[in-house]
Amino acid sequence: MKKIKSICSIAALLTILLMAVACERKFDGLQLATYPTTPEVFVDGFSSGLYYAAYGTSKVTAFSVDYNVKYLGVAAMKFEVPDTSDPNGSYVGGVFGTNPGRDLSGYNVLTFWAKASEPATIIEVGFGNDMGASKYKVTLTNLAVNSNWMQYYIPIPNPSLLKEERGMFFYAAAPKNGRGYTFWIDDLKFEQLGTVAHSTFGILNGNDSIKDNAETGDVFIITNMYATYNLPTGINQNVGLAVSYFTFTSSNPSVATVDDFGNIEIADSGSAVITAKVGDTDAEGSLTIYSTGQSVGPTSLPPAPTIDPAKVISLYSDAYTNVKVDTWNTHWLYSTAQNMEIQIDGENVMHYWDLNFVGIEFTSQPIDATAMTHFHIDIWTPNPTTDKTFKIKLVDFGANGELGGGDDSESEVTIASPPLATQQWVSLSIPLSAFSGLLSRSHLAQLILSGDLPNVYTDNVYFSDNGTQPTEPTTAAPVPTFSSADVISVFSDHYTNLAGTDFYPDWGQATIVSEVLIAGNNTLKYKGLNYQGIQLGTNLNVSAMGYLHLDFWSVTSVSLNVFLISPGPVEKAYTLTVPTTGWTSVDIPLSYFSTVDLTNVMQFKFEGNGDIFLDNILFHK
Amino acid sequence: MKKNSNRMVSAAIYLFLLFTLFGCNKEDVQKLPQRNWQLVWSDEFDGSAGISPDSTKWKFDIGSGGWGNAELEYYTSRPTNASLDGNSNLVITARRELYSGSAFTSARIKTSGLFAQPYGRFEARLKTPWGPGIWPAFWLLGSNIDSIAWPQCGEIDIMELRGQKPNIISGTVHGPGYSGAAGVTKSFAFESNRFDVDFHIFAIEWGTDYIDFFVDNTLYQEITPDDVTGNWVFDHPFFIILNVAVGGNYVGFPTNQTPFPQSMLVDYVRVYKEVN
Repeated sequence: MKKIKSICSIAALLTILLMAVACERKFDGLQLATYPTTPEVFVDGFSSGLYYAAYGTSKVTAFSVDYNVKYLGVAAMKFEVPDTSDPNGSYVGGVFGTNPGRDLSGYNVLTFWAKASEPATIIEVGFGNDMGASKYKVTLTNLAVNSNWMQYYIPIPNPSLLKEERGMFFYAAAPKNGRGYTFWIDDLKFEQLGTVAHSTFGILNGNDSIKDNAETGDVFIITNMYATYNLPTGINQNVGLAVSYFTFTSSNPSVATVDDFGNIEIADSGSAVITAKVGDTDAEGSLTIYSTGQSVGPTSLPPAPTIDPAKVISLYSDAYTNVKVDTWNTHWLYSTAQNMEIQIDGENVMHYWDLNFVGIEFTSQPIDATAMTHFHIDIWTPNPTTDKTFKIKLVDFGANGELGGGDDSESEVTIASPPLATQQWVSLSIPLSAFSGLLSRSHLAQLILSGDLPNVYTDNVYFSDNGTQPTEPTTAAPVPTFSSADVISVFSDHYTNLAGTDFYPDWGQATIVSEVLIAGNNTLKYKGLNYQGIQLGTNLNVSAMGYLHLDFWSVTSVSLNVFLISPGPVEKAYTLTVPTTGWTSVDIPLSYFSTVDLTNVMQFKFEGNGDIFLDNILFHK
Repeated sequence: MKKNSNRMVSAAIYLFLLFTLFGCNKEDVQKLPQRNWQLVWSDEFDGSAGISPDSTKWKFDIGSGGWGNAELEYYTSRPTNASLDGNSNLVITARRELYSGSAFTSARIKTSGLFAQPYGRFEARLKTPWGPGIWPAFWLLGSNIDSIAWPQCGEIDIMELRGQKPNIISGTVHGPGYSGAAGVTKSFAFESNRFDVDFHIFAIEWGTDYIDFFVDNTLYQEITPDDVTGNWVFDHPFFIILNVAVGGNYVGFPTNQTPFPQSMLVDYVRVYKEVN
């Protein structure tokens, strides 16, 4: 008996492709299902219990039954995509559902045939949209159709879950280049096909992602879930999956917990890896979380502002009367930032965490900061700041006072470390001239904070008028007092300089270099610095020297690094604190540049922004 | 036709059906002739992972140039293209990688000069690769190919598959007057299964005046001297070839959607001779 059966099944396998299935599914031997197992959705008409609901904002009359154009039988589904300008709706979309639901657990794929009046791309089709939670939604996006009937497949990732599915089919399509077209779908039914194979599943687009610097209480969500199948045509196809197909696991629930919907919450410090499965199959992709535990916060306030309130437009400070700020967190798309106001010594401080970027808006009453010279903000971060940045962007909505209209402008300033520092208040007073892309500041409406620090406390956010800023020094740089025997000078009026040095080598920079007389003293000026090199007349052996000395002056720069370079090139940067109040002199121990060959120094480089004045660039013992 | 007396003719006819319906209630049984086979040569591909196939049994064909079919791959002898997997399988892997001017690499191994036999049962248990433009094959060539050239030497394709149709294999013979696209051929298709999800056994049984083609011990084609439009050249030793081609006249080009790498897993190759 067994032998005959197996021979019969071999015979069944021999039936050739594309032919009707001779062996009807028989349910006699199966347990009675609670819900109908009808496979047909639309073959020659609405299957039993099927209803149609168009999306509310779509052109609701777009769907009809076509008795002329069809793939097989007597009728097909016809969808007429309107022109973009159609007053009745500029796209088509809707859901074909059943009530009660159906038991689809005996099938593994939804198949259909489709064609269109012209080649087009249908935005999405799928099943599992029940116009409610849509727990088991599967979405095939960007379905390419043309004027030939072609068969399409939407696999069911884990059919055993679909015991009572109401969402039989859904679709959405938009005009092509503004113009409508028509597409048809026929023979829409669930099937059990052995020719759809090699399924793989993934979360987070299949990437092994890392979340650094998470803190207790942070929440994340697993996204970008998919399945890949090899179709009967040998090609791979991706479909997007609803979260409920997956089960999630945390390698260390005491650090991070994960629920059935991929919601992760950080419980403690340590590391944890979040992985997922569909049924018994491991999904590609994971999220490794490194948590620093309970966040560390400031225990004291930043220095109290001292500027005359009459010269301040304050957004956030207990020292001033603040103007109206519409929101301290716009929760823009892709922004993960959370914020909460805390109190220290009875004063308010704004705390941001999960900060990738955050929008702060004062659009209802834009700020006219034309009379102001500086933007001030105090920040405190528990995060390490080495090689990290903090960015401040100002957006002016222009004369119309509204976003858009062609008169908006914006500019961003990047703060490096230093002056950034960890676990201490850092006062940033940035010359508004540093926001060089800001064409106007009479309708400032947005402030955007971003950078590499996920956890930042802020206070004393204001614009101020710090008085007329000199555009150049009024006094010469301090006269160095080193004995000339102990000095190798590159640029100074007080020593004999190295001959042949090129202060304006063409390294593709935008900086405008000049030598200007300041109080009768020859001074090097870098206007609009991005970077600038100095090519020494001859390579220098400075191994007998102890320090690099230089004097610098800038009221507009917020970032300035000096590099020493030996052949290779091997270079090393030293950060100069800007802006300055008057001239600043530094003597940098040459041991700081120990990676550079100090017996063979060939170049200097300055990198940063703003207008810089330099003098007395020399090595001394 | 002596051998036909030993089997139900209906079975053979039934198996030739293309585009024909039949139902599960049909209780046809293939009664095949009782032939006694004695194993004379085999490779079970036992060995540790990563080692090359046994050099006492297999030689590599190396190079590009299309191999007469406008194939796109460069055949190498590297373990990344052909090696054992440690689970008793030979793995031939086609890869999308630039190599000596070719856009793909793969492997092709043969028993030429090491083993050849006229007649008998040649079988392999294998799992195919998939994807448009992927062309795996288990086949035989007349060992006198170097002296009288193709197609006079004869060719027996026991299993060929086009990766864009992963549920259909073909069995074919080529000879003088019936070579290339004019080869005598038939296909075997699964209605709802594929040759790349599980292992299947592909075999021929070859006598002086017949070549029978089997999938999983089901006969689906018999070719006799009456079926060929030229001389019957299947009367001398043939050697065995296993390969995975990429592209070529038979299969067409791979597309951007063809998943790579693609591997054919071969559990064993066995050759028997008939004994009384």
